[in-house]
Amino acid sequence: MSATLDPWVASEGFAEMRFFSFHLMPYPALPDDYDGPAWVTCPNSLFDPAVGNQIYNRYLDELILAEELGFDGVCVNEHHQNAYGLMPSPNLMASVLARQTSRMKIAVVGNALPLYDPPTRVAEEFAMIDCISGGRLIAGMVVGGGPEYYSFSINPAHARERFQEAHDIIKRVWTEPGPFEFIGKHYKLRYVNSWPRPVQQPHPEIWIPGVGSLETIEFVARNRYAYMGIPYFHIDVFERMFTMMREACQRQGYEVDPLQLGWLVPIFVAETDAEARRQYEDHFWYFVRRLLPGINISPPGYTSIRSFENILKGAKTFALNLKTWDEVRDGGYAIVGSPETVTELLSENLRRLGPGNLLGLFQLGTLPADLTRRSLELFGAEVMPKLRAAFPAGQPVLGAPAAVA
Amino acid sequence: MGVSLGEERLSTEIGSVQVLRAGTGDPVVYLHSAMGDGAGMLFLEDLADDKTVVAPVFPGFGESEGIESIEDMEDAVFHLLDVLDRLELSSPAVVGLSLGGWMAAELAVRYPDRVSSLVLVNPVGLYLPGAEIKELFGRPLRELAEDMFADQSHPMAQMMSQLDVMAASDVEIPFEVLRPMLQSMAATAKLAWDPYLHDPKLARRLYRVSAPTLVVRGAADSFVPGAHAEAYASGISDARLVEVDGAAHLLPLERPGELAELVRANLG
Repeated sequence: MSATLDPWVASEGFAEMRFFSFHLMPYPALPDDYDGPAWVTCPNSLFDPAVGNQIYNRYLDELILAEELGFDGVCVNEHHQNAYGLMPSPNLMASVLARQTSRMKIAVVGNALPLYDPPTRVAEEFAMIDCISGGRLIAGMVVGGGPEYYSFSINPAHARERFQEAHDIIKRVWTEPGPFEFIGKHYKLRYVNSWPRPVQQPHPEIWIPGVGSLETIEFVARNRYAYMGIPYFHIDVFERMFTMMREACQRQGYEVDPLQLGWLVPIFVAETDAEARRQYEDHFWYFVRRLLPGINISPPGYTSIRSFENILKGAKTFALNLKTWDEVRDGGYAIVGSPETVTELLSENLRRLGPGNLLGLFQLGTLPADLTRRSLELFGAEVMPKLRAAFPAGQPVLGAPAAVA
Repeated sequence: MGVSLGEERLSTEIGSVQVLRAGTGDPVVYLHSAMGDGAGMLFLEDLADDKTVVAPVFPGFGESEGIESIEDMEDAVFHLLDVLDRLELSSPAVVGLSLGGWMAAELAVRYPDRVSSLVLVNPVGLYLPGAEIKELFGRPLRELAEDMFADQSHPMAQMMSQLDVMAASDVEIPFEVLRPMLQSMAATAKLAWDPYLHDPKLARRLYRVSAPTLVVRGAADSFVPGAHAEAYASGISDARLVEVDGAAHLLPLERPGELAELVRANLG
């Protein structure tokens, strides 16, 4: 794969830091007396369609607002049969956004490739979104979470193989003239010839989210894609993942571009630190205690035994184990405070981690519309401009702390 | 009484596998369950008093290689055939527990001449509407122990519950304790994730089994409903069904002597 295919691997220095607003579209109305998992077996009788009607539209409004506030893009993602995130089809959300916005990037982070059969469906829908939006799609590709292998009854032992084959099909259909034949172990397609083709040529920017598996990081580095660190771990875990990514790129013979790294983190801004915590904390705990349980199940064969052992090492710092607000703050699980505090904390951590994409989760758990909107507005007006100034184009993000104007 | 099992390595087409062996006499092949049972089993040691007990460890379990070459039950049966050939067992008695019982049945429907007598202990492998097998994957070990053992004071049931308590607390479980369980479950999932613990074609092939067959059911098995043992017994022409009290799914661990006697009786 040549570097010329990937516009963000700039030869004349680094591009400007990019800011994204990420939405999970959580279900905010689990009954108080339900204490089971939010995944796989969480009874769908608990879903109130009237709430659904209200929140889908509200959440879309929150994403659309990001363009007006100056964000570079928005992110949606895919999960199934759960209360944590109500986007079994993020592509539907992205197509709405493609029509209702005009400037910013729309990142689908991502489609869980092994769940699509045939995976040409992903190439088709992504190309549709890219055409409708005029070339604003960022194409994310994921293996899918452990719970999805229960929800789809797809053998977890095939997760990585299916991902690899599906990726190869999508990449080829975007870069080679069709029709061609693809006969793999899991997909046997005699006529691969997807219409439409994406506006961005040869293909949209590709993002791969991950939790630190070396195999995934090497795949991303080899293909010069971007690696999005999945949140809800201690900030040290991100540092380890990004270091792994940096080293993997060096092994491929190049230095990582900051735009190949993304840090996804919950952010909440209010007028003062005290106000921010008071307004936010309960909603954060709803997310941690009601929506996370069940997200971390790892079906047999989903990861290699070696990777599992590595993931277990980080598991102790997974947000599900959080008990106190001090742990949340000190571990960087959420960046919460006044505009000044949030600017300072983000700046400090961006310098330490070195990503060129900041993916903020602004709505989380039960955080209501007014507080979400206010937080987004404060971030757009008082945090983002300062961070843009502090991380200008042409300079690496990683480095010694600099004063933030 | 009781001969402890020795361990050998057998080179197969897909890799080297462990084979546990003890005793002399007519050969009895034991196919283990998803728990990877075998070593130190009183049932096998008892049987080895007057039989040659041969217990191959399936790829992915213990130190047996080759799981990457196995995608489904078809591959498993070809591997078993290879093992029987290399051990020069033309037509041994075959005993299988749970997953092993399913494998034994799949072998016997395809190659009836390679099985002289068959004992299926709490076998999985069938799908019976209204009598679904419970979830094996991702369940708390304490819950599983309740399905697997009639007597919760059995040392293995105790250990499973204890691991659950440790996992829920901040106690760190040594990875070496987890590794064999993770490996066994991953290997089982390759064969049994989808379709879940069954082969939709097996039921209508059972008529092919010619060996005298004993289906043994643990009366307290709450993991596999009783209808499964009945379906095997009625689908195989020369089959009997025996229910053993005081045993659940892992019957050979709870009633080793009784099962050994049943196996001997079925050998005729």
